[in-house]
Amino acid sequence: MIMDELLEILQDVNDDVDFENCETLIDDGILDSFAILQIIAALSENYDISIPAAEIIPENFNSAKALLKMVERLQNE
Amino acid sequence: MSYTSFSFLLFLAGSIFLYFVFPKKYRWTVLLCASVFFYLRATVKGFLYVLVTLLSTYGFGIWLTDFSKNMKQELKQISDRSEKKKRKEILQKKKRRILLAYLLLNFGILAFLKYTNFFLGTINSLAGHEAVPLLDLLIPLGISFYTFQATGYVIDIYNGQLEAERNLAKLGLFVTFFPQIIQGPISFYDQLAHQLYEPHDYDFVRLKKGAELMLWGYFKKLVIADRIVGLLNVILEKYAEYNGTIILTALLVYTVQLYADFSAGIDISRGICEIIGIDMAENFRRPYFATTINDFWRRWHITLGAWMKKYIFYPFAVTKPVMNIGKKIKNSRFGQTDYGKHVAKVFPVSLSSLVVFMVVGIWHGANWKYVGFGLWNGLIIMFSELLKPLFEKMTAALHIRTESAGFRLFQIIRTMFIVIIGYVFDIAFGMHSALDMIRKVFFEQSLSAETWSTLAAISPIDRWDVLLACAGILIMFIVSLIQERTGKRVRDLIDDKHWTLEWAVTFAAVILIICFGCYGPGFDASAFVYMQF
Repeated sequence: MIMDELLEILQDVNDDVDFENCETLIDDGILDSFAILQIIAALSENYDISIPAAEIIPENFNSAKALLKMVERLQNE
Repeated sequence: MSYTSFSFLLFLAGSIFLYFVFPKKYRWTVLLCASVFFYLRATVKGFLYVLVTLLSTYGFGIWLTDFSKNMKQELKQISDRSEKKKRKEILQKKKRRILLAYLLLNFGILAFLKYTNFFLGTINSLAGHEAVPLLDLLIPLGISFYTFQATGYVIDIYNGQLEAERNLAKLGLFVTFFPQIIQGPISFYDQLAHQLYEPHDYDFVRLKKGAELMLWGYFKKLVIADRIVGLLNVILEKYAEYNGTIILTALLVYTVQLYADFSAGIDISRGICEIIGIDMAENFRRPYFATTINDFWRRWHITLGAWMKKYIFYPFAVTKPVMNIGKKIKNSRFGQTDYGKHVAKVFPVSLSSLVVFMVVGIWHGANWKYVGFGLWNGLIIMFSELLKPLFEKMTAALHIRTESAGFRLFQIIRTMFIVIIGYVFDIAFGMHSALDMIRKVFFEQSLSAETWSTLAAISPIDRWDVLLACAGILIMFIVSLIQERTGKRVRDLIDDKHWTLEWAVTFAAVILIICFGCYGPGFDASAFVYMQF
């Protein structure tokens, strides 16, 4: 999976957010709970994974890089 | 031992003194002893319930930690992928059952104590006579707050985010920590526990700042909240006799009283923690400056919202049936349209939000009016999200500058209106009276001389009290406005000035509370509103 594909999915959820460079999406309150769940729905559908609630922690959602890492991990499980 | 009693201040001074003179290694035991003493002074019977929660939390926490470790070990030894997956599912199911048993026990106690008499009462009213006697149930002090905190800890262990604490006394401190057990803030274990266990050194600046925060809390509670609560109570007693203007007056009084009271209790708790050296989670961030109802709930009772989000909202929202709702909408013909795509994205999330508000409503008490509270907030959030594209089109068509101060003010007033109507479900005796009050507020307004003379006749507070309350509210408003604009604590802003100003403000606050606070003989200082939950 490549980063560009993920960024496209994220921009589709909210194109006002700089997913490419921001590394504090949760810490700075850029993503609210509505946005987080929309991202989960989009990732689950596009990558055929299920993201449990326990994965909703800042370390996994603070940046596109962290999201990519989480998706790859869940795909391998 | 109420926060507003002299004995509490003595107890607090003694506890803080002992904390700082004790050897560092054992300082946490002072907090534990103080917490147990504080609780036992309030209720000995209630403490038995706390012990059940504590012991079950301790036992189940260790059980889940050990189970997870053994599970990992066992799975490591299986090399075949499909066999590993099968075994993992079986073990995962077992682990889930352990968690479920724990949750059933603890939420079972909470539900039994809070709702049994409601159900028995319903049976009696359906039967038309006392078919079953009501039970004499004692609701332990702060049961919701310590239950939420303890269950959150065990769920975090289940999710692999924590390891169980093996020292029962230390866990006991986390569950019973006295500044927060009455009405929160509700803390997550990973934020609070290590702060409780590690020793903190005495620091004069922190002592001063913590005391200032406590003073601010006492000011809001004793000068504002307890001064006006009497007016609210007399209107509610015979609300049916009054018109919509008087009901609206009660709602406005409640709006101020609830915030002044609840935030005061939290400020006192946070002030105590600051003195000790513990950074307690924030529970309010100027909620009445919120621009949307969503924003309001991000600023009001923040720690309950965070708990609900972590343990109910997210787990519910990511379940397959809820996620599938969005997929189904997306795959329908409607889902191919621009608006359909928006609905597919936000509907499942809004639905989850509605469920959380229903849970919060029912948590407040066994009464249909709280279902009304949940529906009112949940449905408004749902429709505001679903209709967002329409609102955006409207503001664009009307050339409204959404960044302007005027529009922000409009948003604040609109949000306050929604919040105040929602408060009807808090103050009414039941669903029927809540709806009756709303009807009166909308259709029975009268600014006649009779309205004012009725208000003056029933009001238990005289014009000086009204003036004092208004002055207090004005101070509270200005402080909030400064915080909202600068993002800084007013205490810090004052401290940056010459020391004489700082001491003058502190001295003035003490004098104001002593002279104008509602306490002592002749006053029945009201219990903090959220203690009852």
